[in-house]
Amino acid sequence: MEQQVATPPHALPPADVSAGRRGSRLSGLTQYAGFIPALLLYGLFFLAPFGLIVAYSFWQTIDYEVVHKWTVDNYRYFFSVPTYVRTMWATLWVSLAATAITLLMAFPLAYWLVRYVRKSLQGFFLVLVVVPFWTSYLLRVYAWLNILGEGGAINRFLQWTGVTEHPVSFFLYDRPAVILVLVYLYFPFAALTLYASLQKFDWNQYKAALDLGAPPRMALLRIVLPQMKAGMVTAVIFVFIPILGEYLTPQLVGGAKGVMIGNLVVNFFSGAQYTRGAAVSLLIAGLIVFLLLIVRKSLEVEDPYRA
Amino acid sequence: MRDVDVVSRHAGLARLSFSVWAALIYLFLFAPIAVLVAFSFNANEYGTFPFTGWTMDWYRQVFADYQIKDALYTSLKVALEVTVISTVVGTAAAFPLVRSNLPFRNGIRIGMTLPIMIPGLLIGVSLLILMTSVFHFQLSPQTAVIGQAVYTTPFVVLLVAARLQGFDPALERAASDLGANTLNRLRHVVLPLIMPAILAGALFAFTLSLDEFIITLFLIGGHNTLPIYIYTQVKFGITPEVNALASLLLLASLLLLVIAFTLPIALRKMRFAYRARRA
Repeated sequence: MEQQVATPPHALPPADVSAGRRGSRLSGLTQYAGFIPALLLYGLFFLAPFGLIVAYSFWQTIDYEVVHKWTVDNYRYFFSVPTYVRTMWATLWVSLAATAITLLMAFPLAYWLVRYVRKSLQGFFLVLVVVPFWTSYLLRVYAWLNILGEGGAINRFLQWTGVTEHPVSFFLYDRPAVILVLVYLYFPFAALTLYASLQKFDWNQYKAALDLGAPPRMALLRIVLPQMKAGMVTAVIFVFIPILGEYLTPQLVGGAKGVMIGNLVVNFFSGAQYTRGAAVSLLIAGLIVFLLLIVRKSLEVEDPYRA
Repeated sequence: MRDVDVVSRHAGLARLSFSVWAALIYLFLFAPIAVLVAFSFNANEYGTFPFTGWTMDWYRQVFADYQIKDALYTSLKVALEVTVISTVVGTAAAFPLVRSNLPFRNGIRIGMTLPIMIPGLLIGVSLLILMTSVFHFQLSPQTAVIGQAVYTTPFVVLLVAARLQGFDPALERAASDLGANTLNRLRHVVLPLIMPAILAGALFAFTLSLDEFIITLFLIGGHNTLPIYIYTQVKFGITPEVNALASLLLLASLLLLVIAFTLPIALRKMRFAYRARRA
């Protein structure tokens, strides 16, 4: 790279002094010029729609027309229908269960990688975890339909062996199936973050605990786990939050019993009930912001871009 | 690290059980994909168990299906546009994010990652309202491009900003001392240095766009990208043709992954060879 810097600048204008002193920091407002395209994109197509959805959630739909009259009816309506409220609680419950299972499954794997796998091979095994994640999200859900579905491998196998005559939907179209697929979808996130935080751990501390007579289990619980808190919080964020907004998984493998709050949003919107849909969307957004505020402390990291 | 185990009496057992667990996890991760690919070669017309024999018929059907060709064309067009938009916008934004005297820099950085954190569903519905009720746009692949770009651009920003942060500012000062103006420094010093990150960001955006489902579902109107086409097919069950199409897409994703890993190395080798020839 240095060679390129040294290419003789034949007839170039004199060096501008300000840049020479402070790297390439531009002065005044020009230093922010690079933000302009991003400001346009995000102002127009991220912030504006978000403001709009907030407004919509407080407006009314009358005869398929949106009326700009401020009201909390959309929220009141949502909480007045027991099915919707139940769905909201079920969504939280499913997200919580899926996150817990994902972490419990990922921790031993991360531990195995750090403790028992040669350094030179760790990268390879990590990539193996990520490969399914790199493939299409839709296809990963579909792959399970192939196994659990009414015409899926398990059912066909049971019919073929004569255990049942009619396809059973025991594996599918209920919450356990949704949780199973969600765990599958979000496992790589958890594995990667837990691996990263376990790898940073100073194992001399663990050794010291053992030397001082702690049984391995206790050393793990009292020394290793507390120091992984930040990693676990990150994992929870990357697993729990996206699951709150899941639509596809409950749609394809959840059936009527596996409905989540994301499906309600889509139903409202496809039924042209934009204002009610907006209110439910905002409930999800509010839930996410609330969660992020709770875990904010653990997220406060140093600014990595500051020199 | 490994000598820690000597202390524990059950070290061998622990090692064994962790290894078994790891094996089970990898089985869990790859079995569904393996089943999918296996069934794509299954002659059984229901595309599922039992395995009645090998066939390439489903692949032949995929290649003959004009709906799939259409969806593939739309997918590629959308992905290309998304890649161009997010690479340009993301790279441009990475500069002031790293180099300006920005107030609330950390806040802005976190704000920029919001589109990744927020579920795509919310981006989709809010843009749907904007496009249809405010702008009165006809939903089309173009509106889907905008929605996807909102989601993919932060990845480019993060990748390029990290790279921009990582390189030695002395290089640029040296260029400046040698008389290079801002444009020349950018062209001959900065861009070559951050090019791997820009390419990685572009590739990331391209892949994310190809796979994106939920934002596209809301914004594409009557058109199909490949994921949308597959969704309409599988909503009511499995078909062997989709198994074949899915296997092909998995292969394509894997190829992109391999390219993503090998491209920076290949580029560096090429540049060294080029310079060696010039010298």
